[in-house]
Amino acid sequence: MLTGFTGLALTLVFSFALVIALILLLSKTPGRTIWYFFAGAFTNAYYLGNMLNSAVPLVFTGLAIAVAFKSSVFNLGGEGQVYAGGLAATAVCLALPAANAYLGGFAAMAGAVVVSGILAGLSGFFKMKWNADEMISSFLLSSAIILVVNFFITGPLDDPNNNLLATLPIGKQYALTKIFPPSKLNVSAFFAIATAVLVSFFMARTHAGYEMRMCGLNREFSRYGGISVSKYFVLPMAMGGALNGLAGGLLVLGTYGASIKGFSAGMGWNGIAVALIARNSPLGVIPAALLFAYLEAGAKAAMLHSDVTFEIAAIAQSFIFYFVTAQSLYSLARRRKKP
Amino acid sequence: MPYLEMKGVTKRYSDDLLANDAIDFSVEKQEIHAVVGENGAGKSTLMKILYGLEQPDAGTINLDGARVVIHSPLDANRLGIGMVHQHFKLIPDFTVAENVALGAEPVRGGLFIDRSAAHARIGKVIESHGFAVDPTARVAELTVGQMQQVEIVKMLYRKAELLILDEPTSVLTEQEIRRLFDTLRSLRRNGKTCIIITHKLHEVKEISDRVTVMRKGRVVAVRDTAGVDKAELSRLMVGKSVLFQFEREKKACGSPVLQLEGVSLRRRASGRPLLDTVSLTVRSCEIVGVAGVSGNGLGELEDVVSGLRRIESGRILHNGEDISGLSTATLREKGLAYVPADRLHRGASLHSTVTENMIVSNHHGFLRAGFLAGARIQQFAERLTRSFSIDGAPQVPIGTLSGGNIQKVILARELASASNLLIVAEPTWGLDVASSQFVYEKILEMRSAGAGILLISSNLDEILGIADTIAVMYRGRIVAILPNAPDLSKERIGEYMLGLREDFARQTDAERGVRK
Amino acid sequence: MSSNSPFAIPLIHNAVGIMTPFLLAAIGGLYTELAGMLNIALEGLILTGAFFSIVFAAATGSLLLGILLGILCSMALALLFGAITLYLRANVFITGLATNLFASGFTVVLAFQLFKTKGVIQFPDIPRLPVFSVPAALQRIPVIGDILFGHNIIVYATWLIVLVSAIVIYRTPFGLRLRGTGLSGETIVSLGLDPRRYQLAGILISGLTCGLAGAFLTMQLAAFVPEISSGRGWIALVAIYLGNKTPWGIVVASFVFGLAESFSNYAQGIVNVPADFILALPYLITVAAMIVYAIWRHYRASRT
Repeated sequence: MLTGFTGLALTLVFSFALVIALILLLSKTPGRTIWYFFAGAFTNAYYLGNMLNSAVPLVFTGLAIAVAFKSSVFNLGGEGQVYAGGLAATAVCLALPAANAYLGGFAAMAGAVVVSGILAGLSGFFKMKWNADEMISSFLLSSAIILVVNFFITGPLDDPNNNLLATLPIGKQYALTKIFPPSKLNVSAFFAIATAVLVSFFMARTHAGYEMRMCGLNREFSRYGGISVSKYFVLPMAMGGALNGLAGGLLVLGTYGASIKGFSAGMGWNGIAVALIARNSPLGVIPAALLFAYLEAGAKAAMLHSDVTFEIAAIAQSFIFYFVTAQSLYSLARRRKKP
Repeated sequence: MPYLEMKGVTKRYSDDLLANDAIDFSVEKQEIHAVVGENGAGKSTLMKILYGLEQPDAGTINLDGARVVIHSPLDANRLGIGMVHQHFKLIPDFTVAENVALGAEPVRGGLFIDRSAAHARIGKVIESHGFAVDPTARVAELTVGQMQQVEIVKMLYRKAELLILDEPTSVLTEQEIRRLFDTLRSLRRNGKTCIIITHKLHEVKEISDRVTVMRKGRVVAVRDTAGVDKAELSRLMVGKSVLFQFEREKKACGSPVLQLEGVSLRRRASGRPLLDTVSLTVRSCEIVGVAGVSGNGLGELEDVVSGLRRIESGRILHNGEDISGLSTATLREKGLAYVPADRLHRGASLHSTVTENMIVSNHHGFLRAGFLAGARIQQFAERLTRSFSIDGAPQVPIGTLSGGNIQKVILARELASASNLLIVAEPTWGLDVASSQFVYEKILEMRSAGAGILLISSNLDEILGIADTIAVMYRGRIVAILPNAPDLSKERIGEYMLGLREDFARQTDAERGVRK
Repeated sequence: MSSNSPFAIPLIHNAVGIMTPFLLAAIGGLYTELAGMLNIALEGLILTGAFFSIVFAAATGSLLLGILLGILCSMALALLFGAITLYLRANVFITGLATNLFASGFTVVLAFQLFKTKGVIQFPDIPRLPVFSVPAALQRIPVIGDILFGHNIIVYATWLIVLVSAIVIYRTPFGLRLRGTGLSGETIVSLGLDPRRYQLAGILISGLTCGLAGAFLTMQLAAFVPEISSGRGWIALVAIYLGNKTPWGIVVASFVFGLAESFSNYAQGIVNVPADFILALPYLITVAAMIVYAIWRHYRASRT
């Protein structure tokens, strides 16, 4: 196993090789399946656009994890934070059925950011004050929140006009402009890129970003140097929550137009994989998210045009998880032997 | 023929660190053999090799005339070699019996731990040595002395014939040390052989039959204890050479920069205090060197003066202001500069760049509307790199630099703050001669500029070379404060360091007027 | 059961059944936890056992063979998880996630391949799990009899497993060393033992019990439902934590969760508290317990 980019490339090669092997085993038309899996996403505007669109929330959740990991805190509540953010945005829009698109939309996003930011920040606070494991507490809070959000979607906010487990649709004026019809790709893609750039800039060039990174790399050194270490348990968690909330809100305003039960399932977990592949680099999250979206799009295309099932993507993703973490730790161990 | 014979044992950890250099070491049956040396002499490494925790690069081990190979503690145990570690390897939540039997549990019916057999066997060992330990007690509830007894029982339970004890008295009270020595004598009577690693010379004289002196990875002498006195041992341990001579003009600036008044720090469990009413003053234009063998409070002194650890009683003053309990951020604002002994974990962030390391304490000064002013930081880093002749580009991770250059970065950073108090601990540990020279020059520059410097070091040459005043710590107390005069010898300081002599008698709390 | 019995009795009876998969997964997870490793792959291991046990039972016509092979499959996955984590030094949380993800995808892919459907797969012809009802002699005992009897064989096997685990963990050399590994890996190493062996053993045991838990879920239904594990693995983790990492504590915690679910089944339509809130309770209780414990520990440490 090699370090750096070569290692990453090898991981991908191994994972893809395993997927091909799996397809060969399972499909009666392996050639066709493989073609659609690897190239299907590019065959028309609909697939391509939707692939890019599904990368958007992954950019945000990947950023959330990257920010947290860089500060050595662990935000495992992504699932709940995205979901709750989406619901918050929906609730705001439903409460303002006739407001101006920009003001209302902004308020909706603000709602999402605040709700999820507080949710995650709470775990950071518990860690700071009482050294309560933020990994477990964020996961537990998120699991509870998912159930609460489910309740609201299927209960008070449920749309009685159809059989979907979904809320009433938000006002049409809030829908984000589509930029690549007939796919669902919308302006949130630009927000994603802009946010990644902003986060990257924040981490590299601001006072707080520097202190967060130092705390992440060596807390003892940071404390020695006069950095207030306890502050940087809460901030990275809250930032992560806010980013996750944005993911949820943009999914609602951009793609779904309502909160559908389970609409964000998997975003939180995939965010971890995205951050891992991107080596926690905020800008690297963009290609990593695209890679993940590509896998899912490929599986979808293969499923539609061939005889395998969509869940092959999950298998591919799990291989990447396995390989990426084994080799990334290997390279870290190699670096530490130096001094 | 010696019972244990190690020949030509060599162990190298890295390019800079040759821990054992072709060592010949032998021990006779039924003797208590002391191994003495300063820190870094290589004693621990040699014993780890003997116990199978490390593998030698070269050399042989013979036990009772037969060549043996020891790959792990299991091999060592099978050969009858046992080790009582300096930092106990015990599980506090388990009982004594569980700790002793762990890994060698007697079994009943092929599956279950035979509790009564274990208790019986352990009880026999405890009884025959007169230990006062209850096998069913939880280790967390024992005193430190009792815990050590458990470690000894653990080895005797495994039928150890040769016992290695690593700095066994470092955590014990006087009474517990008496008990330990009685135990060692009783073990010897019963045919066991003991190797005891220590730096306390009066203990060597009291308990050992023979003594091996190590220095810088080599064996420098082997003597019968009866035929050597403490002064000679001390001389053999510390050596005579003085590396650096510096011109130090007599300066008398006078105002106290740092004052410690009755500072104390206790260990969590019972046992002797880590810092015991330490009182010390550092004036501007003065270098106060604090000497001692590590484990006697130097590290704790460093921690409390730099604000990384809270003291329990007493006061610390900086320029007359009480700074006890302030955060590191506040301390740095007030002008504290600190070069830590733990260069790699505390003094630097190895994965960060040189520049990022340089600005950790003063990055607030480079802000422009909340953003770090890249150009100014760059200039700052380049300036420091030049003036300190740092061999490494500012944008590389500091971990790729050599030890000497890492220390230069740390020095550059701390000295750049131009504060009037500088704390340096073990500043030239692991550095080559040229880098060490550089470090001393910079420290002396600070002194000339009016700073007060607290130099904490276990390196006597260093302290004698540049300090104006020398304080010596032993077991958490200051046992001497001496002006550095030409007639002050390493041997004399060595005596203070090794507990052979002290100037300040132990006072009771009432006498010292200290309120708890 | 007589129709005059208060509603509590069928409630508790059902709870005992419902808690079984929680308890199985938790007791297996306890071994890994005691060895000092975080095991979040319980979910995926349950799912694997669920799928393969019923598939093999249908294929071989034998309940026992199906369950055994199902357990073998989940142990195989556990081996993959453990080996990569321990011997390739990977991050245990990520590999746990990977294991769950893999199980999720693999079961659906295989289900689709074999049965041409991604939905519920019914197996009407497989043998049913034997159920033990109240023996005549014990008919007289009022409450206990109704609660303890009438469950399927896996429930009783679980009690046996818990009992055996308590003995293994506290009375065998393996159990002592397992606990020692989690409490102080350093000490274990100083004795010449390899902590990884005990950690791997813990993971494999969790594979075993989770496989059985999965079998319980599918055999009971005589069907495989995708994602049938639905969070039970996570709840098992919570149960380990709440149960203070002891077998009996886990029994109590699992019972509480079983009771909560049993109650929520009962209460839907009768009581107005939404089912989701009741299901959320275990998570909230655990967070609260965690925080309280952390506060207590924090103030205790600062007082010494």
